Amino acid sequence: MASTETAPKPMRPRPLSPHLQVYRLTLTMVMSGLHRITGLCLFIGTLLLAWFLIAAASDASTFSYFSWFIESFIGRLALFGFTWALFHHLLGGVRHFIWDAGKGLGDPERDQLALATIVGSIAINVIVWIIGYAVR
Amino acid sequence: MSPSQKSFRSPMGRVRFLGSARLGTDDMWRLHVTAAFMIPLTFGFVWLVLSLLHKDYNGVRAELGQPIPAIVLLLFVLTGLYHMQIGLRAIILDYIHGHTKEWLLIANAFFAVAVATACIYSVLRIGFV
Repeated sequence: MASTETAPKPMRPRPLSPHLQVYRLTLTMVMSGLHRITGLCLFIGTLLLAWFLIAAASDASTFSYFSWFIESFIGRLALFGFTWALFHHLLGGVRHFIWDAGKGLGDPERDQLALATIVGSIAINVIVWIIGYAVR
Repeated sequence: MSPSQKSFRSPMGRVRFLGSARLGTDDMWRLHVTAAFMIPLTFGFVWLVLSLLHKDYNGVRAELGQPIPAIVLLLFVLTGLYHMQIGLRAIILDYIHGHTKEWLLIANAFFAVAVATACIYSVLRIGFV
């Protein structure tokens, strides 16, 4: 007779809900992923902001290292990516607020909102960078 | 589901501690409230960055030493990091499992507090020292 003290039988595999591999990729799915990815990029980007503020609170020679980095090609690219992620995540958040209000969930509307988020974030980012280069 | 049963969770699921921890609404609400505040704060932050863009060390310090830019910046950093900490916790809980998850949750909380401390200290030092 098997003792009740022995290790329990391994669990029977539980039923899984349908997941990524069984769905056709839709725009709103891509946007959901992008919202999380841009959020993660902003998380890493806070290091850049912290570096800037620490440098500005230090002496001029410490600040020159930050200036050198942010004015370099890599630095500008990082800042360009950071501001785009910021606007994309911002508009994505607004989209979620619209959905929370129960609006824009219909068939053409949800894709229109998703497109507006992509196009809008790129447009705002480009405009802000043009202002950044133009205004002195 | 029979009328006498008060939960959608199966008895086996309950025994295995699967299902809702009944804490999700709190995170969702905090994420939404901070998100709403982040909308005007983001535009304030972008405005501030644009005004700092072509300034040198002394110019940046003079700008950040003003009350309004410093307050906007501190609100942006604090609200943003609080929002970010909840958001990344959700991502970690969704995709990472086991001990890695536990270490990342600790690292996430520490990262947010560390960046917040560095930013607050720096802004206050620029303003007051």
